[in-house]
Amino acid sequence: MVWSWIPDNLGLIGQLTRQNAYIGIVSAVAGLVIAVPLGIASARWRWLYPPVLSAANVVYALPSLALFVALIDYTGLSDATVIIPLTLFSVVVILPNVVDGLRSVPDDVRQAATAMGFGPLRRLAQVELPLAGPVIIAGTRVATVSSISLVSVGQLIGIGGLGYLFTDGLDRDFPTEIYVGLILVIALAVACDLLLVLARRVLAPWGGSAS
Amino acid sequence: MIVFEHVTKRYPGGTVAVDDLSLEVPDGKIMVLVGPSGCGKTTTLRMVNRLVEPTAGRILLDGRDVAQARPAALRRGIGYVIQQGGLFPHRTVEDNIATVPRLNGWRRAMARARARELMDLVGLDLALARRYPRQLSGGQQQRVGVARALAADPPVLLMDEPFSAVDPIVRSSLQDELLRLQAGLRKTVVLVTHDVEEAIKVGDLVAVYRPGGHVVQLDTPERLLSFPASDYVEGFIGFDRGIRRLSFFPADRLDLGLEAVLGEQATVAEALQAAKSVGQPWVLVIDPERKPLGWAATAQLELLAGDRVLSGVPLTGYGHTFRPAADSLRAALDATVLSRSGRAIGVDEQGRVLDVTSFDRLRAAIRVADEAVAEQAADGRRAPEEVQA
Repeated sequence: MVWSWIPDNLGLIGQLTRQNAYIGIVSAVAGLVIAVPLGIASARWRWLYPPVLSAANVVYALPSLALFVALIDYTGLSDATVIIPLTLFSVVVILPNVVDGLRSVPDDVRQAATAMGFGPLRRLAQVELPLAGPVIIAGTRVATVSSISLVSVGQLIGIGGLGYLFTDGLDRDFPTEIYVGLILVIALAVACDLLLVLARRVLAPWGGSAS
Repeated sequence: MIVFEHVTKRYPGGTVAVDDLSLEVPDGKIMVLVGPSGCGKTTTLRMVNRLVEPTAGRILLDGRDVAQARPAALRRGIGYVIQQGGLFPHRTVEDNIATVPRLNGWRRAMARARARELMDLVGLDLALARRYPRQLSGGQQQRVGVARALAADPPVLLMDEPFSAVDPIVRSSLQDELLRLQAGLRKTVVLVTHDVEEAIKVGDLVAVYRPGGHVVQLDTPERLLSFPASDYVEGFIGFDRGIRRLSFFPADRLDLGLEAVLGEQATVAEALQAAKSVGQPWVLVIDPERKPLGWAATAQLELLAGDRVLSGVPLTGYGHTFRPAADSLRAALDATVLSRSGRAIGVDEQGRVLDVTSFDRLRAAIRVADEAVAEQAADGRRAPEEVQA
């Protein structure tokens, strides 16, 4: 461990951390934005869910590297080339939680809402989605942490955030760089996770069932 | 007023939940639909606010066909209470109650102020306003459910087994609460239950269902107990209907007499004399404030010296008393049955002895009350025959 390397390279470390955080978080958020309507549709039309889930699982089976390489033809060497596959993975992780969360809304609550005079959309927005919230956030936590850590694979096509420190450290046989990258990836993931836990506490103060 | 006109609900597959039902729920009355599970009573209820659509027939709410109304708007004008309240777990007590006013476009502050009014009305501590439903007891949740249904002041209230999920003591207090509220609010209420006791206690009218969606009798609780229309109804009401219906006869109809009642300073000889003069085997001993002390049996008094004072004589306990002005014949009978002397003591509000009853007097009072009911039936609008629904 060469401690002096850290202050000497603060600029680089900061830039890589920001890129890693940016790509990871954007992927998870985009995944959430796609998974919620898809999940609502899957919960609403039951026949839709099995094919959607199968398709999602196939996507998840694709090696991320293969996807990066395939996308280079379309999006070139931009952040999007990494963000798109990670978004797909996030969708796969979050989608079942959206469906399960919506299905876990107790029947009597749904029925009471209808009987109070909620229309279907209002009921969804004001009753079902808030109640599914904790379960959806639980899925988002997994998606966020895995996206942040998967960003480093993008380094194989040159867009990898803190992944740069792994390949560079390996090339130069300089373990300090690898350790620093590793610790920062973990710290970033844990920080985002804590933020989401906090978000759940704020958004679901009634003490939802999901952890 | 809610009117069912030849309403039938047939599910795909042929199950008939409600079969050609015609029924009127008068304004300001509580109509209880009672029957075993699966008899169509809940389906009946849900057709009023269109949670279920009838296959045939129509339902009129104040003369307007509910099928013509927009469901969401219709429902906001009808209060709905279900078992365990069906409360929104993610909303505080006040926001649960404020639901319909908010849907109607009220500002949050106004809706919450209204919610607090209702908490007060249904007997909920305002300190609970910011709690979440799971932090409340079953009874409290049920009160929130009732408050939420009343928040927009709908003229009609539908209650689906509202009190079945709470223990018997809480249930009884919630039923009392409903009657107290109803005395002030005069809503048109349809309440579904499988509990005959509940039906008889809270209903102004009771519709007894038989499986297959038929109403086999529609009557006042009092007449339901006195004149069940069929063996089915009689069996459903239960074996002790003869005693239960006595709840509807006030005890002030009892022809009560003061029998041998003596102060504790009277002597044994005086007591025997008094007992003999009324021809009864018991004398009641009271204190200077006319509070009862207990019964003395003449058979035992005869063994004692005539000049002993009654305060020194062992007495038989008098069990519990009843208040002729407030209690029913059922309470009087209960007190009589439980008393060792076979006599119950009627007291005033301060617990002072008014008079004493006995089985003979109860029997006479029941006969008088029965005759009154029968007379009412004879000129009555509704003969005790089977009401085909």
